[in-house]
Amino acid sequence: MSSAKAHAAPLTNTDDSNPAERSPLILGGAGFASVTNSVAHIVERKTPSGWLVLFAAALTGLLILAGSLGKLVYTGVGVWGLNDTVFWAWDITGFVFWIGIGHAGTLISAILFLFRQKWRTSINRAAEAMTIFAVMAAGIYPAFHVGRVWLLYWVFPVPNQMSLWPNFKSPLLWDVFAVSTYATVSILFWYVGLVPDLATLRDRATTRVRAVVLGIFAIGWRGSHRHWLNYEKAYLILAGLSTPLVLSVHTIVSFDFATSVIPGWHTTIFPPYFVAGAVFSGFAMVVTLMVIVRKAFGLENIVTLRHLENMNKIILTTGSIVGYAYAIEFFTAWYSGNNYERFTFINRAFGPYAWAYWTMVSCNVISPQLFWFKKIRTSIPAMFVLSIFVNIGMWFERFVIIVTSLHRDYLPTSWTYFRPTIWDISLFLGTFGLFFTAFLAFLRFLPAIAISEVKGVLPEADPHGHGHGDESDDAHDAEAAHA
Amino acid sequence: MSRVESSNLAAHGGGSAQASGHGPAAGVDTPRLAPATGKKWLGIAAAVAGVGLALSAAGFAADRPRFAHAWLVGFVFTVTVGIGALFFVLIQHLTRAAWSVAVRRQAEWVAFSLLAAAPLFAPLYALAPQIWTGWLGPEAAHDELVHKKAAYLNLHAFTIRAVVYFAIWGVLAYWFSKRSTAQDADGKREHTLAMQARSAPAIPFVALSMTFASFDWLMSLDPHWYSTIFGVYIFSGATTSSFAVLALFTVGLQTSGYFRKVSTVEHRHDVGKLLFGFTVFWAYIAFSQFFLIWYANIPEETVFFRERMGEGWMPVSAALLFGHFIIPFTLLLSRHVKRNAVGLSVGAVLMLVMHWVDVYWLVMPNLDRHAPHFSWIDLGGLLGPLGVAAVVVAWKASRENLFPVRDPRLPETYKVENL
Repeated sequence: MSSAKAHAAPLTNTDDSNPAERSPLILGGAGFASVTNSVAHIVERKTPSGWLVLFAAALTGLLILAGSLGKLVYTGVGVWGLNDTVFWAWDITGFVFWIGIGHAGTLISAILFLFRQKWRTSINRAAEAMTIFAVMAAGIYPAFHVGRVWLLYWVFPVPNQMSLWPNFKSPLLWDVFAVSTYATVSILFWYVGLVPDLATLRDRATTRVRAVVLGIFAIGWRGSHRHWLNYEKAYLILAGLSTPLVLSVHTIVSFDFATSVIPGWHTTIFPPYFVAGAVFSGFAMVVTLMVIVRKAFGLENIVTLRHLENMNKIILTTGSIVGYAYAIEFFTAWYSGNNYERFTFINRAFGPYAWAYWTMVSCNVISPQLFWFKKIRTSIPAMFVLSIFVNIGMWFERFVIIVTSLHRDYLPTSWTYFRPTIWDISLFLGTFGLFFTAFLAFLRFLPAIAISEVKGVLPEADPHGHGHGDESDDAHDAEAAHA
Repeated sequence: MSRVESSNLAAHGGGSAQASGHGPAAGVDTPRLAPATGKKWLGIAAAVAGVGLALSAAGFAADRPRFAHAWLVGFVFTVTVGIGALFFVLIQHLTRAAWSVAVRRQAEWVAFSLLAAAPLFAPLYALAPQIWTGWLGPEAAHDELVHKKAAYLNLHAFTIRAVVYFAIWGVLAYWFSKRSTAQDADGKREHTLAMQARSAPAIPFVALSMTFASFDWLMSLDPHWYSTIFGVYIFSGATTSSFAVLALFTVGLQTSGYFRKVSTVEHRHDVGKLLFGFTVFWAYIAFSQFFLIWYANIPEETVFFRERMGEGWMPVSAALLFGHFIIPFTLLLSRHVKRNAVGLSVGAVLMLVMHWVDVYWLVMPNLDRHAPHFSWIDLGGLLGPLGVAAVVVAWKASRENLFPVRDPRLPETYKVENL
């Protein structure tokens, strides 16, 4: 448990050749104190210059966002490359892209919690933060797409003397409810998980101001038995409530397309297929970010190779589900015998947007298959590159679904080829600015790892682990951890 | 084989007896069914199969198309339960799960019943033109839409695909059961590692074979109709019903005194949670399919629901809504019910009955367009395939251990706790 040991070469924990034993989740002999120290240190130390450089870059992106939105509001939605035929393109592609990324956090926190997946503890905090920021970035698109953004509150069914109501039959309105519910519950879930850690930071605070501010947000947490009991109950209930929410949001996003009668949009597999795709892209983004974060802040013993490997397995699984959906859609388009269905899919794969379609297939279906090889899914450079491929592919998936289904409609005279304008592109880049500004601020000011939860998966915390000589497995685990 | 196993078990049980004073340890529970119980199970299964086959033979003589459809319902019911169980076994190996070691053997038995799927399919194959009339019957000749799909919907391709499906399911069910019982005998870890390694590539095979089997056997009943989610829909029913069977096995073996240490109320709770979760999953998939077709209102798709929401079939559709979702959802939501032997059993039986209703609802409108026409032939069609599968399961149960006695994760399964 000494610090000298902690800095020794990390043990490997991706060896699963002995089914009778579980590899340790936390490496380097970390104990309770060292986990607290290494996580709290990140927010307590002097601002690292590398962070400042990145933050400046992210702020630049945020400025680009502000400029793009200013131009959009001042001039109108016409600044985008939309036209009569392709009336939705980069705007909704960006929306669905970010909403999708916002699915991993709650999946990790809620669904993996219900499945007793202890490895979630090292990554859930950062993933949840990422979720919230991704949902924020997503929200920009529909909010500004209404045109007069100052009248955005009209999307809510506010009683008014004009008897003017939003269209309750429109999936776009359901999106308002689904996304705002998801954002609310995600923030709540994230905050509940943060409370014990905020209290830890409060108790370590060296200045009065810091102690007071953190104290306010720690809402009087003292770590008593009763507090923990309530906390665990609240966490379980929130996990139960969040689980259907993870599915519902992207289901309703898929309804935006699937309730229509447009070939390529209207297909019954959309709801589960969109959910799988969302989880796929979300995990890819978590891998991209955590690979950097663990290296930059020296958290390799907490966010271990095993965590990354597990995430890569989920990427492989969800990528294959997405591949299944592509294949079944294509097959059914043929099987339907419907000329319009058949045309849409042939046009997708071999028409003017074939380059986009095959980019999507290569990134989403083919590249994750490399994760069948353990060497690749435990290689940091390989997973970093592949995770970025996945997110490129998932952006293209939405682009392909949206644009290729629209650009050649029933009337050949209105066929067209969509090209983005500079404002389409700058707005999308700008949302990355928002996302990274928020994420970098999170890394700097809040504990990026769930300290109390990681402690809960250390061998010391196992109620079976100590004082039961008859259970040799646990004794062995504990020894390994203390070695 | 059984003699070798039992002698090994004796040695194994003796070794762990010393540890039993301190707490749960392997070998505390009797690993075998009492021979009398095994015989009783086999007797009941054989009786069910006998009654089912006799009724079916009479049905075949009385009303051939009705027998064929009833048998299709029973066949799909039985095979989907088997596939759900096979999928469960694969996922448990893939995720290296420890809790499920306690219940895995029963899933292996149920999956093993898939070896009977090919012979059970024979009557359907023989009567195919009377079932899949839309593309095999005489009216297909004048159907332009069916001509467009002829590359897929033709008897040759249909036969080859069926052989491939049965081969995939049979090989996987046999192999995973064999390696698991081989480990009972020699206790080698290599079996676990081999099953883990093979489980992942097996899953795409199961997924694709089940999807296309559902297209071939169910969706093509109306060859004009199509739905991309259909394979997922059948998958959701398969998993739900197999968890129901697993729940009944778990409760049954616990309450009759076989499982006291290996599987406890915690495992029962876990199976209950899966049953609950997949009940919701079924509802989610069923709703997605219904809602998107209803909302878009395209005639070539709505035809499926127009029949089933007509006056005659509407009560069955409503029964699905309430019996397959609303009632089990409210029932199984409760932690108390999932942990209670009676409560969980009620939920499990309900889900099995509703799975049959679901398959009936998918198949029978093909024969009875306007209203369901329940008859004794339906009972024969269900009990025949179900009884044969039950004989296979009972035969396995009477000659195998009740749990993987030497699974390396067995010690871990004792420690499973729910918050």
